[in-house]
Amino acid sequence: MAAATLVAPLAFGATAAHAEPSLVLAIGGEPSEGFDPLLGWGHYGHPLFQSTLLSRDADLATQPELARDWTLSDDRLRWTLTLRDDATFSDGTPLTAKDVAFTFNAAARAGGRADLSVLASADALDDHRVQLSLTEPRITFVDTLYTLGIVPDADRDNGYHDGYGRAPLGSGPYRLVEWQEGEQLIVERNPYYHGDTPPFQRLVFQFTGEDTTLASANAGRLQLAAIPPALAAQPPAGMRRVAMRSVDNRGILFPMQPARGEVSDSGAPIGNDVTADPAIRHAVNLAIDRELLVEVALHGFGQPAYGPADGLPWSDAAERVDDGDLQAAAERLDAAGWQLQGDGLRRRDGQAAGFRLTYPAGDTTRQLLAESVAELLRPLGIAVEPTGRHWDEIRREALHQDAILFGWGSHSPQEIYYLYHSQHAGQDYYNSGLYANPTVDAHLEAAQSAASFDASLPHWRAAQWDGEAGYGVRGDAAWAWLVNLEHLYFVDDCLDLGELGIAPHGHGWPITANLLEWQWQCDG
Amino acid sequence: MRLIAPLARRLLRLIAVLGIVALAAFGLMQASPVDPVDAYLGPQLAQVSPEQRALIAERWGADQPAAQQFGLWLGNLLRGELGWSRVYNAPVSEVIGTRFLASLPLLASAWLGATLFGFILGVVAGTREDGWADRWIRRYAYTLASTPTFWLAILALLLFSVALGWTPVCCAGPVGMTRDEVGLASRLHHLLLPALTLSLLGVAQITLHTRARMLELMRSDVALHAFAQGASRREVAWRHGARHACLPALTLAFASLGELFGGSILVEQVFAYPGLGRATVEAGLRSDIPLLLAIALFTALFVSAGNALADGLYRLIDPRLREVRT
Repeated sequence: MAAATLVAPLAFGATAAHAEPSLVLAIGGEPSEGFDPLLGWGHYGHPLFQSTLLSRDADLATQPELARDWTLSDDRLRWTLTLRDDATFSDGTPLTAKDVAFTFNAAARAGGRADLSVLASADALDDHRVQLSLTEPRITFVDTLYTLGIVPDADRDNGYHDGYGRAPLGSGPYRLVEWQEGEQLIVERNPYYHGDTPPFQRLVFQFTGEDTTLASANAGRLQLAAIPPALAAQPPAGMRRVAMRSVDNRGILFPMQPARGEVSDSGAPIGNDVTADPAIRHAVNLAIDRELLVEVALHGFGQPAYGPADGLPWSDAAERVDDGDLQAAAERLDAAGWQLQGDGLRRRDGQAAGFRLTYPAGDTTRQLLAESVAELLRPLGIAVEPTGRHWDEIRREALHQDAILFGWGSHSPQEIYYLYHSQHAGQDYYNSGLYANPTVDAHLEAAQSAASFDASLPHWRAAQWDGEAGYGVRGDAAWAWLVNLEHLYFVDDCLDLGELGIAPHGHGWPITANLLEWQWQCDG
Repeated sequence: MRLIAPLARRLLRLIAVLGIVALAAFGLMQASPVDPVDAYLGPQLAQVSPEQRALIAERWGADQPAAQQFGLWLGNLLRGELGWSRVYNAPVSEVIGTRFLASLPLLASAWLGATLFGFILGVVAGTREDGWADRWIRRYAYTLASTPTFWLAILALLLFSVALGWTPVCCAGPVGMTRDEVGLASRLHHLLLPALTLSLLGVAQITLHTRARMLELMRSDVALHAFAQGASRREVAWRHGARHACLPALTLAFASLGELFGGSILVEQVFAYPGLGRATVEAGLRSDIPLLLAIALFTALFVSAGNALADGLYRLIDPRLREVRT
């Protein structure tokens, strides 16, 4: 026993010093359910053990992966994909269209994070062709082609089973060595991988809390560590700080309807007479100084946000506000009849220009944002009352009658559909401000029934602003988007991360999206 | 025959306790504001359709009325099925089994350490009232008794792991090594600080109670008689005192099993030690009803078994209790 103890660390040290070093990463995000794509594993970034039908590069442009050819039918209801014929699982058995069909059908029924509710059925046409049929045109179904890792058909000997999440078998670049739950995940190169050989033989993902991660980084035991902004001031020796841009956004949702005494299905009161006025929403958007918010609430690690998906192809690049302009905001309010009174507050027909700004209690970033927004709007004569509440109370009380500080951000325009389409008005957290504009609805629907994902992009952008109407700041200003977070990492000086894209909500796994492009720049 | 009646009574009482624990835990979970589907989806909330939300709730049976959920769970339990953990997507029995095995070395070493160390300190302190040893041990015990476990754990981590670098900062084994590669020495090294911190939790109580019983004995006729025969304080303490004082120490040691378990939740959290304690936290935060109920039952069983064991041991140690039966 003693001999084994002495030998083991030496053996590991030898691997670490090899020309192809192993990496130790602490980026959090341990999936407690295991590595099961049917339940949503791999949704952020690369599924690691499995491969997907299509992939996206740093600019989110589509690239072939398992599928080398794909078409969408004219009625937008059938995807037909042709698979490459050299793909195998990490035990050497071939991956066929049957496995793909099984994966999609099973994921649609599994009831996990992977949402395939629009899938009618998936069928293998032959060994290398698969057809996915939808119940209605929905271009955002393409997301599952990028994110759903293919698992082996349950009918096979090595097929999918209940314990798959703890013994994943896939055709991805890595295969599982050991998962010590609550501690670490050890993976090694999959020798059967069909793509380029991954640059690192062995990866270790350490699942530790913020303090422990920082202590390990300071001790020089990590090559990559996810770090919260408050702790990111001083990188340890031998490491540098990398800030990854994101659409991990924070913004203010406005209730769009006046209070008429209605309540939603869950009993939450609907409507707010102040935020229902577009003048108020425009004035808020104009008056806030977003750069200042980044400095105050994010320690400088972020960018101003003007929409729900800044920098992504489905967001209008022209969507910008010359903000921090109290003069323009005041003129907008004056024109709408909100007069500044002697007490420094604006009123119209006896109604004071004030509203509650609710944020989830315990989220210090959102608390700072809410309080800063209140300070910035005070000189304008708008009284904002920052209010911290538990999510449960937000759902019961605040959801449809308070302005709410939400945070979203994803790699799918589906989120825009949920946030702005009137079909989801008043449904839980989706369009909780009950925003409804027929023109925007029409653009969103046109996007969903586009001939391809690329063809849908102009429609998504038109929903934001089409020259006359839109959900964005030039149109209805249904939200006042505030900031996009930057995700911070300490990275070993020898580790080159290549070109990082824009990350979605969620700090950690998204950075591994381009894992196969990482390079070790030092010798020995 | 005489044994059967008390045993049956004990068993019935145990079943009643378990039933009440299950019902209370379930009631608290129902009253909790955490929506399990919201907690599961987290920030992905707005990327999943309302239909998918309904499907998730259906998979867990969370869409059914509370009474029906409880009835279903109880029925499964009677058939020996503990259910399926929502958080870990695995059978609850398997989750508890593996997690408890991970916690066991920590709990056992902490418990043994606390009992032995606390008892010895108590005897030493009680031997000479108000001597220098007594004063220092009392001060030490009062300080410990008023120290929160997690705070002590963080201090220990900062001092020994970060500043001095004597012990590892986390986990039950070294980073990057599979379980087979990790040797016994390394395992013990990783266990050392969590176990030591956790054992301190129980020391103060046992020390103070043992000391009180020792003082009582040292003033008694038995001790006076022994002194008259020329025995020293130390001889009296170890020959007569220790045996008397070990009864309260045993009671406390077994009664503190529940506390020990509670302390392990905090200690495992601080040291990132992957045991049952951390699973409990996850189950609570994400409203994993089957797992949390099973852990509640398991803990209740664990503590009851401890108390039963203490009762049995009394009879072995104290002959007066044995005579009652004949």
